[in-house]
Amino acid sequence: MTYNLGISRIDELVGDIKGGTNIMMIGPPMCGKDDITNIIAYNGLINKNAAVIVSTREPGKNVLDWFESRDLSIPPEHIGIVDCVTRTLGFGAPDTENIKMASSPVDLTGIGVKISQFFERFWMEMQVKETRLCINSLSTILMYSNLQTVFRFLHVFTGRIKAANALGVYVIEDGMHDEKTIVTLKQLFDGMIEIREGDDGYQIRAIGLSPKPTPWFDYEIDGVNIVLRG
Amino acid sequence: MIIETGIPALDDHLHGGVPQGKSLVYYAYPGVECNVFGMQTVHRAISEGGRGIYVTSSTDPRMIRDLFKEFGWDAAEYGDRFVIVDGFSGLVGADSPEQYVVSNPDDAGSLTQAIKQVMEDAREPSVIVFESLSTIMDLCGESATLDAIEEWNRYAMLYDHVVVYNFTAWPYSEDTLAHVKGDIFNSVVSIGGITEKVIFGQYFGVRKIDWDEVTKKCILFKVLKPGGVRVYLPKILVTGPFDAGKSTFVHALSTRAVSVDRLGTTVALDHGHVDHRGFAADIFGTPGQERFDPIVKLLSGEAMGIFLILDSTNTADFVRAKHMLEITESMGLPVVIVANKQDLEGALTPEEIRRGLDMAHDAPVMPVVATSREGVFEAFDVLVDRVMEAGSI
Ligand SMILES: Nc1nc2c(ncn2[C@@H]2O[C@H](COP(=O)(O)OP(=O)(O)O)[C@@H](O)[C@H]2O)c(=O)[nH]1
Ligand SMILES: [Mg+2]
Repeated sequence: MTYNLGISRIDELVGDIKGGTNIMMIGPPMCGKDDITNIIAYNGLINKNAAVIVSTREPGKNVLDWFESRDLSIPPEHIGIVDCVTRTLGFGAPDTENIKMASSPVDLTGIGVKISQFFERFWMEMQVKETRLCINSLSTILMYSNLQTVFRFLHVFTGRIKAANALGVYVIEDGMHDEKTIVTLKQLFDGMIEIREGDDGYQIRAIGLSPKPTPWFDYEIDGVNIVLRG
Repeated sequence: MIIETGIPALDDHLHGGVPQGKSLVYYAYPGVECNVFGMQTVHRAISEGGRGIYVTSSTDPRMIRDLFKEFGWDAAEYGDRFVIVDGFSGLVGADSPEQYVVSNPDDAGSLTQAIKQVMEDAREPSVIVFESLSTIMDLCGESATLDAIEEWNRYAMLYDHVVVYNFTAWPYSEDTLAHVKGDIFNSVVSIGGITEKVIFGQYFGVRKIDWDEVTKKCILFKVLKPGGVRVYLPKILVTGPFDAGKSTFVHALSTRAVSVDRLGTTVALDHGHVDHRGFAADIFGTPGQERFDPIVKLLSGEAMGIFLILDSTNTADFVRAKHMLEITESMGLPVVIVANKQDLEGALTPEEIRRGLDMAHDAPVMPVVATSREGVFEAFDVLVDRVMEAGSI
């Protein structure tokens, strides 16, 4: 069981990512992390993977719209969204086929239950064994819970990703956390996707997924493509 | 007085429920549904005319009644017998609509203040449910929370309240987990997941009670919306000779059922979902003809119990029925004989059928009219009892 990110040159340099890999994605605000996260999920969906996206900043409906507005040919029943936003706005929306509600970003119990329910459905009912989990973002979760709490939660779920041979992607806002937080969390991950601000827009690279870090690439987001330059 | 949890098989194993003044923790493996247990318990108390107090820690109090509603429990109807202690709004800096508010949810002392207040104000022994003890522990720290729990439990004892905690067992220190499982609560109910790559089944079992003996046993469950926690029997077979009424029986028991028939007789499966008295079951009808015996054997594989359906007027079929019984009994599964078509002229009595099949005197033979549903749920109850006794779940 192997995975690709859907970021052309980086995929070539990194090669197949083996099942059970957990990746931290870290980058500054406004660099398109939401899109990149969704594109990684999307790249799984077009390859018949399933994708579970934990959304802490956007209502689940918006995330689903992102996919539906871009490509109607992906199997919608393979998308699972854990919505941590809608109920904090005071809306009592029930779970749907694609969207399950957690109470809030503090509700780690609920988030964990909903992730597990999607994994069960994809594995047992639909027999889809390749699943991607994207948590977007850990930074929001860290606003409400302390580092130790988030570490415990991630310790459990990075372990589940390994057990299920899935791919985990965890988004972090660069500049929002102290060094200790980043160093502590890094221990849980096999590699990183790093984004930084270059002279001419943002740059991206992968580190820890191949013997050497990939070079930095300038990029632009075009629909469901991350176009690399340089 | 004893407070029922509202989860039938669990109340049995608690010897009725939780006595006043005692505490219970639902101790859950991460990823397994846990909060519904506490909700079901507080709902039960209120629907029996009691008072319920719900301490929220990770959910906006405005959402709580909606959450109950998803299970079909209308908290709006509880009026002032349902009280929320708001341990959430303070965390996100929101104004609280509730009377009882924890000003600093990350301070155990602040929680204790609100909890003591609500316990004192309650005019009668009540049920207090903590939505998420693990969230409190995350916010207030492990040792401060353990100390606070002891204080809350003591206070509850003083006022004859029952305190129930939902707890997700994240990897806290071993010491903390040992206390939670061991000494600080009067009773512990484990909620676990059956895992292989992913969690694909959930069970609960009593781990500790200090007012009676513990029978260690794992009981599978499912969470239904509406409905809540249901003891789950994933596979009950319905077998028997051709035309005995298997398909009719499956449909009579089920809230939802499908049959795939060919040439008028079952060659594929009848499949139905039963939701009855706290039990949920998936039932499967098997083909009756002899040539399908290998399929019946195959299907019996993971089954938990079997209904053998007989047409009570058709003694010619009894030899065949006896044979099918042998196939299934060789699997060591609990069986209930359904003496169907009792409405017809010449139907043999259950006693006559028992003798005709040469069965033990205590073998359950239940009189049923599947077409009118008469006796079908009684037969279900008897099989469920047998399955639960057999300890096969
Ligand atoms: N009078 C009477 N007829 C029944 C009863 N149960 C089933 N039947 C009839 O018996 C026939 C066979 O029933 P069916 O469920 O298809 O049997 P199967 O072959 O075992 O699945 C149908 O015509 C049913 O209407 C019953 O309790 N009383
Ligand atoms: Mg039939």
